[in-house]
Amino acid sequence: MSLRPTEAGAEYDPIQLEVFRNLFHSTAEEMGVALCRTSFSPNIKERRDYSCAIFDGAGRVVAQGDHMPVHLGSMPLSVAAAIEDTSMGPGDVVIVNDPFRGGTHLPDITLVEPVFVEGATEPTFYVANRAHHSDVGGMTPGSMPLATSIYQEGIRIPPVHLVRGGELVGDVMSMILSNVRTPREREGDLTAQIASNRTGLRRLLSIVEKYGLDVVQAYMGHLMTYAERMTREAIRQIPDGTYRFEDCMDDDGQGNGPLAIVVTITIAADKARIDFAGTAPQAQGNINANYAIALAAVFYCFRVIVPFPIPSNHGTLLPLEVVAPDGCLVNAQAPSAMAAGNVETSQRIVDTVLGALAQAIPEIIPAASSGTMNNTTLGGIDLSGAQFAYYETVAGGMGARPYADGLDATHTHMTNSLNTPIEALEHAYPYRVTRYEIRRGSGGSGTWRGGDGIRRDIQLLVPAQLTILSDRRVKGPYGLQGGGSGRPGRNVLVSGDDEHELPGKVTKLLQAGDIISVRTPGGGGFGATGDGDAGS
Amino acid sequence: MNRLVIGIDTGGTFTDFVLMKDGKVRVHKEPSTPDNPAAAILSGLREMGVDGVEIVHGSTVATNALLERRGARVALVTTAGFEDVLEIGRQTRPAIYELGVTKPAPLVAAGDRFGVRERLDPQGAIVEAVDPDSVAAVTDRIAEGNYDSAAICLLHAYANPAHERAVLSALADRFAGFITASHQVVPEFREYERTSTTVANAYVGPIMRRYLGQLADQLPGSPIRIMQSNGGSISLQSAQRAAIQTVLSGPAGGVVGGAEIGRLAGFPNSITFDMGGTSTDVSLCQGEPGRTAESSIGGLPIRLPVIDIHTVGAGGGSIAYRDPGGALKVGPRSAGAQPGPICYERGGTAVTVTDANLFLGRLAPNHFLGGGQQLAEEPVEAAMGNLAAELGMEPIELAEGVLRVANTTMAGAIRVISVERGFDPRDFSLVSFGGAGSMHAAALARDLGIPRVIVPFAAGILSALGMLLADIVRDYSQTLLVAATALQPEVLETEFRKLEARALEDFALDGLDAADLRYERSVELRYIGQGYELEVPMQADFEAAFHEHHEQRYGYSDPQRPTEVVNVRLRVVAPTQKPAMESEPLTESDSTAAVLGEHEMVFDQQTHAARLIDRDQLHPGSTFIGPALVVEYSTTTVVPPDIRCRIDGHRNLIMEIAP
Repeated sequence: MSLRPTEAGAEYDPIQLEVFRNLFHSTAEEMGVALCRTSFSPNIKERRDYSCAIFDGAGRVVAQGDHMPVHLGSMPLSVAAAIEDTSMGPGDVVIVNDPFRGGTHLPDITLVEPVFVEGATEPTFYVANRAHHSDVGGMTPGSMPLATSIYQEGIRIPPVHLVRGGELVGDVMSMILSNVRTPREREGDLTAQIASNRTGLRRLLSIVEKYGLDVVQAYMGHLMTYAERMTREAIRQIPDGTYRFEDCMDDDGQGNGPLAIVVTITIAADKARIDFAGTAPQAQGNINANYAIALAAVFYCFRVIVPFPIPSNHGTLLPLEVVAPDGCLVNAQAPSAMAAGNVETSQRIVDTVLGALAQAIPEIIPAASSGTMNNTTLGGIDLSGAQFAYYETVAGGMGARPYADGLDATHTHMTNSLNTPIEALEHAYPYRVTRYEIRRGSGGSGTWRGGDGIRRDIQLLVPAQLTILSDRRVKGPYGLQGGGSGRPGRNVLVSGDDEHELPGKVTKLLQAGDIISVRTPGGGGFGATGDGDAGS
Repeated sequence: MNRLVIGIDTGGTFTDFVLMKDGKVRVHKEPSTPDNPAAAILSGLREMGVDGVEIVHGSTVATNALLERRGARVALVTTAGFEDVLEIGRQTRPAIYELGVTKPAPLVAAGDRFGVRERLDPQGAIVEAVDPDSVAAVTDRIAEGNYDSAAICLLHAYANPAHERAVLSALADRFAGFITASHQVVPEFREYERTSTTVANAYVGPIMRRYLGQLADQLPGSPIRIMQSNGGSISLQSAQRAAIQTVLSGPAGGVVGGAEIGRLAGFPNSITFDMGGTSTDVSLCQGEPGRTAESSIGGLPIRLPVIDIHTVGAGGGSIAYRDPGGALKVGPRSAGAQPGPICYERGGTAVTVTDANLFLGRLAPNHFLGGGQQLAEEPVEAAMGNLAAELGMEPIELAEGVLRVANTTMAGAIRVISVERGFDPRDFSLVSFGGAGSMHAAALARDLGIPRVIVPFAAGILSALGMLLADIVRDYSQTLLVAATALQPEVLETEFRKLEARALEDFALDGLDAADLRYERSVELRYIGQGYELEVPMQADFEAAFHEHHEQRYGYSDPQRPTEVVNVRLRVVAPTQKPAMESEPLTESDSTAAVLGEHEMVFDQQTHAARLIDRDQLHPGSTFIGPALVVEYSTTTVVPPDIRCRIDGHRNLIMEIAP
């Protein structure tokens, strides 16, 4: 076997490298299949709002499934927190959701399990998966309330043992289940998450058995330097220089806004510095993102601009220096409210970073996509007297590309979750969907048109608490090179004959018969049409 | 009166014929005639000198119409306000990290989708009655709109078909084209998938109806059955109504044929492995092929029971290259048939899996397609040298690496259908076919711990063989979505009876008698709140069976947790009279007579003097030990060093893979 030195001086075989990349990646994918098919939250089973990943013994990510982009880059911080705060032995599982101890926002619960090869005293790997639970307590059903502090948003779980030596820690489970609205569903989801990690663990042990521990460990390292090389190669294709861009969040749901996100990107050969200095301070409302989310959004942007796939591992992040002042909107500190940071602000970070990169590589970067996940939560008591909590995101228009129209009615950038089928929704919840259609004409004009958004109207059959976390309700997604901006979204409440506009972020008790109509933004257009039309 | 049966598989290049008479198999190949597929069928039958036989036919007419978007002009009727469900799909993009991502356009454009005012709830109760005025307006537009066909898909029609029937009947009064409604095609919940399936049926329906009509006209003396994606056949008349059930019939025929070969060879548990030029299909058979209701074609979901085939984009034409990070990649880019691998000398310049096989002596340059095509070695050596230099390795090392990487992808595909579903590959045999499969099968089996490889006697016409052997099968289903504890056994019985009544009606139309039918009842369950269901055979304690199945498939179960019955399924089988395949007596022989000469092959970077063996000269009882290269018209089998081979009584080549 001929071996070549890597930049780090270690030697690897290009064939073995691809074989191991495939093995680790398919392991993470296998974990995802197991989780998706056995979970109970619509968010996990139908919308696939989850991610699974494998880490080395130092907690560095080795491979991650092609799941939710917003989880890429942020999961290692959960594993790091679990390693730092607890002592994990064989058969232990640590649970965490605290955004200030390795989490993102409270509904995302991460389970970390160490993998011990026979005879080893230290873990060779960790496996972890993260899933968006339908409810984790807090002010409103669905746990995405218009809060002003983390304490209002639900149960905050620091890294603690959920399973010890293969035995469920009943105290912890009971504590969690007592703090959520739909405990039976939570229990089922956590069981599915435990099983998903077991799937990964078994697979990793069989890989070690087949290839030997030394080889497996060597290739975990090689795969990281490989990903690092790939990312450096990608950055090298961007002209050196400093690129600045500013965009904003409409508001924080507490009457404050707009709130600026400012980025300055410095490209120097094969390194990039991404600095968020100038960004607004952390907000009173719940749109705060932590550093993990900023990292994930930046990583996503660099991953999509290259024409070849970069594996998602620790090495990818090394050439990227992400700087965000403590206490700003994209590096918020405790005890700020965080629910929308992961799902809304993350999209704006992408818009901002891509906006800056559009100055460097205009032939690659698309106009802004809808830039909001239009998070809609409804909860209350159904006709049988049971508590329910429902959470859904609604897609919007994709920004026009420099070579093609944007897609209509499609989830973009940091999310790719499925809708809940109307027939499944109406079976499970006391709602009736009255309209689900493409919001024609909402995409920005241009040589290439921005994609159109969606209109989804839901009528309630029982009273329920509505919470909407949406953005781009004031300022539409930007166009590029003279293309028009996409039309901003709208949230409309219809009560009988009365129809009125709701703000982008709102919580409200609705009556039976009320209809909530969520109309999502179109994408920005690309290129001037020449007829002076600069948007809608 | 036993009529002869012939299986006819129309493929892109060849139309294959398999006839069984007096226990012997007769095979014929005829160049396909894509403009008029019936022409090849007629000339093939003439060539074989058979007349008035019963035909089981698999066709790609519907498949190609869908893949090439050459289907009918369809109008779609939906519940008002939901005209865009077909286009919105599930709101997702097919690739997360591609800024240039595209989605397949809907089969029916926005201007051809019409809403009618009506609404049902999930139990099928009427929320809003069908509005006659809106139906009249829609039927007017469709009648005047120059459409070939119409699809109707209303919300919750699976729970109550009354509204769809009302629209259908109003439309039928005004519109003479092909009409199909979702409750007829797939009465199951999830509106997007049901709409997509129904629309696809309307899209291919008129084309299949025309094609099958012409075929019947040209073969007046032959009863014709049509192969379906579920592995069974159906009368030609029925196929005209439910054309969508035929779109995956080609691969299904291959799996049915492969499973049957495995069974005949004494190994009923098999994994079929069909490796072609651009992709590889694998399927797991426990006695018979597994099934799934989650499939898609050209990116469009088709929610009908089909043989569970997992496809990966790796085949003989997959291109090898060095990626910017310095790893060796193989595929998913493929040289396809044009320009094809370098060794075909049709302009291909990129190293492919086929080129790597040739370079290592795993293809015989003078024996490809029976010697009909000479493979060029020199340009392959040059290109292999260049790529090897780029990667800093020896050409031989590279060529073996290309095969290893390709095999990793294919082993992954087999893991998906076996290990990931709770099956151990060690309990299965690998049935290998397709042009490229048997060059990789032994290495793959060794990699996965599969104890033996079967290369069927008719590897090149396996699909046609599967068609010949296919029973007549119809699948019925009904969504219930009721908690298992709330479901009275009588209610369940009534649901099955309703499906059986439908089946009897359908089979009666085809002139089949109730006495000949076998009913297979099953239920699909999930824990209440889950999003995916598992199918278990109907039995008194089907809940216990579900818990057990869940444990096997996902590693845990919770017998305390309440379950719900999502769908009931009925599979009705009319077994066809199968020609017996006689086993020939074994004559021990060391295969010397079949040796064409010596041939150099590379394994583990060592060059071996291997034997080149003519498959057609081997006979039942022949044995030999690798290294060897076995050539035949449609495929080449690589036998690595020390692997024992034998030819069984059905002329299958069996490789025993030492663990």
